[in-house]
Amino acid sequence: MTATLETTVSSTVDTAVELAGVRKVFGHGSSAVVALDGVDLKVKPGEFVCLLGASGCGKSTLLNIVAGLDGATSGELQLNTSRPAVMFQEPALMPWLTAARNVELALRFAGVGRLARKRRALELLELVRLGDVADKRPHELSGGMRQRVALARALASTTVSPDGAPALLLMDEPFAALDAITRDVLQSELLRVWETTNTAIIFVTHDVREAVRLGQRVVLLSSRPGRVVREWDVTDSSNEVLDEINTHLREVISGHAS
Amino acid sequence: MATPPDTLDKVGAGLDALDVPVEAQKPPLWRRFLKTGVPPIIAFALLLGVWQALWASALLPEFQLPAPVNVWNELVSSIASGEAFSILWTSLHRAVFGFIAAVLIATPLGLLIAKVRVVRAAIGSLLTGLQSLPSVAWVPAAILWFGVTPSTIYFVVLMGSVPSIANGLVAGIDQIPPLLPRVGRALGAGRLASARHILLPAALPGYLAGLKQGWAFSWRSLMAAEIIATSPQLGVGLGQYLHNGSSLNDINMVIAAIFLILLVGIGIELLLFRPLERAVLRARGLTGAL
Repeated sequence: MTATLETTVSSTVDTAVELAGVRKVFGHGSSAVVALDGVDLKVKPGEFVCLLGASGCGKSTLLNIVAGLDGATSGELQLNTSRPAVMFQEPALMPWLTAARNVELALRFAGVGRLARKRRALELLELVRLGDVADKRPHELSGGMRQRVALARALASTTVSPDGAPALLLMDEPFAALDAITRDVLQSELLRVWETTNTAIIFVTHDVREAVRLGQRVVLLSSRPGRVVREWDVTDSSNEVLDEINTHLREVISGHAS
Repeated sequence: MATPPDTLDKVGAGLDALDVPVEAQKPPLWRRFLKTGVPPIIAFALLLGVWQALWASALLPEFQLPAPVNVWNELVSSIASGEAFSILWTSLHRAVFGFIAAVLIATPLGLLIAKVRVVRAAIGSLLTGLQSLPSVAWVPAAILWFGVTPSTIYFVVLMGSVPSIANGLVAGIDQIPPLLPRVGRALGAGRLASARHILLPAALPGYLAGLKQGWAFSWRSLMAAEIIATSPQLGVGLGQYLHNGSSLNDINMVIAAIFLILLVGIGIELLLFRPLERAVLRARGLTGAL
């Protein structure tokens, strides 16, 4: 088990993300757990891919590897994008900063100047329709609004690339903690933002309905170890596809019942 | 999902309108004064009343329990002669310099203990232990080491306040939700940028609590040191003033000194730490205690 992960950024733009035989093992020896076992995945620039799976399928691990927050045990990861942005289940805004400052923080880390930062942060907040509450702090906003600020911040961190590399947004069940109405609204908000920004998105969820509604492609992962089971093109989703994916997801889960 | 997008947009706008925070009206100044200013004044007046009544009952001899008015006269005369200001200045500038030195020492120390595992294992518990050791205990040793000099006083003040401040910072850093530094990394923050923009601001409430406690400890350590280590070359601070009162069997002076010591403690708390703490907590929506 040697770390042979290579991250290369090239300028060919037919794939934004390419994973080849990515394997991730936690722990050593007999107590080792294989979280991911030979995952291959390609994402085109501007594509919306949903990773679907039950708990323990390593979807978050996969996302962390693409984000560079975690290293793979072996396999190859190729990114042809600017720095990937990550959104978590919790908004994780800095509680001492206003909404605008939270977005600016991402730009600050990217070395953007003060005035440009201010302008860009406001633009992004307008994009998620929160221009009016730019000066509010996280505790003054509702859960849905906070998650939209987090979305604006994530976009800020991925869309500042100087060489115009395509943007990549990684989302780890970002709407799972929201109530049903807010989730519904945010899903449509995300689709709108995706269409206007042309950002590639990898969206992790365990909700089949959400995956089919949002994604162009749904990738089903098995659990322990995580492998790609099947993929569906869901651009024009029908109820049959939904049922089919559901059936497969149930099969994957009931395989662990013994 | 048959809902057309523009309907959902309207739902979203409606949700936002419902979610927009309602600005709480600030009550007028006189009402706020009535709520926060009047109760302590009444409490103080009651205390004075009980004191006066006790004195009038003559249960205790005059040299043990003075009349409030005599203490008041002692205070007024020492203020009129300017003695009170020189005493306050002597003690306050020592406490402030000692406290600033303690902050400068304790902050990097706290950062090291919080972030470097070996350092924490080595001196973490020692520092907590030092916090429970009354700093008066250092006075005899300090006199042997430094003589009756300002160094002795500063040493005792530092031993009193450094552990509190460092421990406060450690607690503040320990209580940072792990997701925040993680977000920082995902946003591309390096180690330094993360410390400057995420760790330190996130640890600020704990750090501030440590500073507050550190100030209290440095003030009481200073008083202890001044009461014990008295010499003409050290000048007269509040501690010496109290000591002199005791030597002269002058209960008026003793009570006046205690009153002044308390006054400084309360004054610094109200003028410095309370507003700072308020600003920091309010910015984070932690207004429960305010």
